[in-house]
Amino acid sequence: MLTIENGPPGVVVIAGRLDSAQSPTAQSFLDRLQGAITLDCRGLEYISSAGLGVLLKTQKRLIASAGKLRLVGVNRHLRDIFQYSGFDQIFEIEPLE
Amino acid sequence: MGAATPIRDLSARDLEPILAVARDLAASFDLDTMLGEVASAAKQVLKADRVSVWLHDAATDELVLGSSSDLGSVRIPASMGLVGSCARHRRLINVPDCYADERFDPSVDRRTGYRTRCMLSLPLIDHKDELVGVIQVLNPASGVFDEDDEALATVLAAQCAVALQRARMMDAVIEGERMRQELEIARSVQLGTLPTTMPAVPGYDVYGRFEPAGLTGGDTFDLQVFDQGLLVVLGDATGHGMGPALTAAQMQAMLRMAFRLGADLDTTFTQVNNLLADMLPADRFICAFIGLLDPGAHRIRFHSGGHGPILVFRAATGDCEVHRPTSFPVAAMPLPALRTAATLEFAPGDILVLISDGVTEYRDSQGEEYGHARIHEVLRQHHGKPMAELADLLLESVQAFAGGAPQEDDVTAVLIKRESPRPPAASSFARSLDSLEAIFGFVGSMFASSGVDASLRQPVEFAVEELFTNMVKYGKASEAEVCLTLVRIPGGVEATLIDHDTEPFDITQVPDADVDLPIEQREPGGLGIHLVRRMVDSLEYEYREELRQTRITFRKVVKGPSNSGGATGDGHAHD
Repeated sequence: MLTIENGPPGVVVIAGRLDSAQSPTAQSFLDRLQGAITLDCRGLEYISSAGLGVLLKTQKRLIASAGKLRLVGVNRHLRDIFQYSGFDQIFEIEPLE
Repeated sequence: MGAATPIRDLSARDLEPILAVARDLAASFDLDTMLGEVASAAKQVLKADRVSVWLHDAATDELVLGSSSDLGSVRIPASMGLVGSCARHRRLINVPDCYADERFDPSVDRRTGYRTRCMLSLPLIDHKDELVGVIQVLNPASGVFDEDDEALATVLAAQCAVALQRARMMDAVIEGERMRQELEIARSVQLGTLPTTMPAVPGYDVYGRFEPAGLTGGDTFDLQVFDQGLLVVLGDATGHGMGPALTAAQMQAMLRMAFRLGADLDTTFTQVNNLLADMLPADRFICAFIGLLDPGAHRIRFHSGGHGPILVFRAATGDCEVHRPTSFPVAAMPLPALRTAATLEFAPGDILVLISDGVTEYRDSQGEEYGHARIHEVLRQHHGKPMAELADLLLESVQAFAGGAPQEDDVTAVLIKRESPRPPAASSFARSLDSLEAIFGFVGSMFASSGVDASLRQPVEFAVEELFTNMVKYGKASEAEVCLTLVRIPGGVEATLIDHDTEPFDITQVPDADVDLPIEQREPGGLGIHLVRRMVDSLEYEYREELRQTRITFRKVVKGPSNSGGATGDGHAHD
């Protein structure tokens, strides 16, 4: 299950599991955004490579128009995946306390 | 004892040595030096020919001439002679003619060859009013000791008593520290011989744990795979001080050496016993279980020299068998002949439990022993858990029982469990991303029912999703469902995905993604297999031509503390 919704201005809250089946939902939500966005990942339990693809596509699009995606509240499991995929170099990542 | 009487003509020459001795005594901590200083100061101040300092040995109620550490020193009962009388009555005794005094014991003169004429004896009493010893000043140049001499000697004696007592206490502290350091070294030798990682034994979950108590204790355990089988040892060397720790380490080394050289169990047990029996003092021995497990035959052969109880939890009935030692403790005496080794058979789920006396003898604050029944209860409740966890639960149960009473002895546990072969969990899934929810549900229920470490669930789900979605994406020609099998293996899980009616495509040959590219050159996709390789411990691909079947198998196990970084991490972006 995945939920993705607007939080405070400039913040999008994502929670649940961003797997291959849920990626299209996340992609269509993120496609509507512009500018500098903080993605609140505190409730994001799981991500697969399909989810990484969604984040990468969004980051490339936002950067092209001087925006960017920032990830906050990232759990240990997700951090490992971001690291092994080099995403820690293309995203600003703030770990979960 | 205060010098209330004013002393006639206390000259600067008299005062100087008294002040000097006060200064030196305050700075000196060494008993022998201090005894010498006391004697020479007294000689100088009282212009005497000779000074004897006797120390009181409270343990034996004797007076010891000179340093108590001197083995050749003169010792007399504290009631004997003038010196004894002085000690007993704690009063100064001035005897102008010793040989005319019936209390005088001439035996010391006879032993030393000295002729005592006139003698002043003073008790040495420290500030806690304890008798430290007696100082005797002999044969003054003036012929006899007068009242002024007595007053001077009293001042000096008070100084000396406090300083000597301090030096004696310091000696005891230094001796204690030296022993503590020796114990620490022995302890580290002992700890260094324990296995740091548990061996992997197919079909078995084996675990050993050692909880030292303070600095003394002689427990040991071993779990090592040799050609002859898995060596299983639990030992407890008796005695106090550094001996037991070193004895345990020695036995360990001998056993490993013997088995490495190919010796059999009976020969090894006999030889190690006889060698240690020759070497160790008569009152020292080791209670030890020494066994060899044949994991293929599910049988352990063992000798237990004095170690018991040997507990076996039987999974089929939930009962706990208690076996007794097979012979007297190791090293207690040479073995004339050895009985054949005892054997135990393991049925699926059975657990051999070896626990040092420290556990069964563990007492609560009321002095009640922990005993076997409580161990059995923990086993009955938790026998399905991994052995590392069971060991934790046993120790927690002991600690809860003890309720804060200090651990008096080493606590060591060795647990050997024959795994129950679990039917692998298997299920088939339609080749659609919509199956993922059901797949995750299947993985979750397998984890919940098998007791596989929960920390492995995320990486296993990740790898399954990536491999499954690959099959969905690249096997569009097939209509067949994908079969997923999960089975528990020691320390983790093995997953197999079987895809039918497919073309061969070896995913293990897919090159890694370049994760160092700048963002503008990176494209979504191509990360799945790259990440799977880093998340799992092994990844195998097999294609069965005749069935047109692809099988992909991966394993994921819990890492030891030394490499808890998770995945392999090679070729990582920061490297």
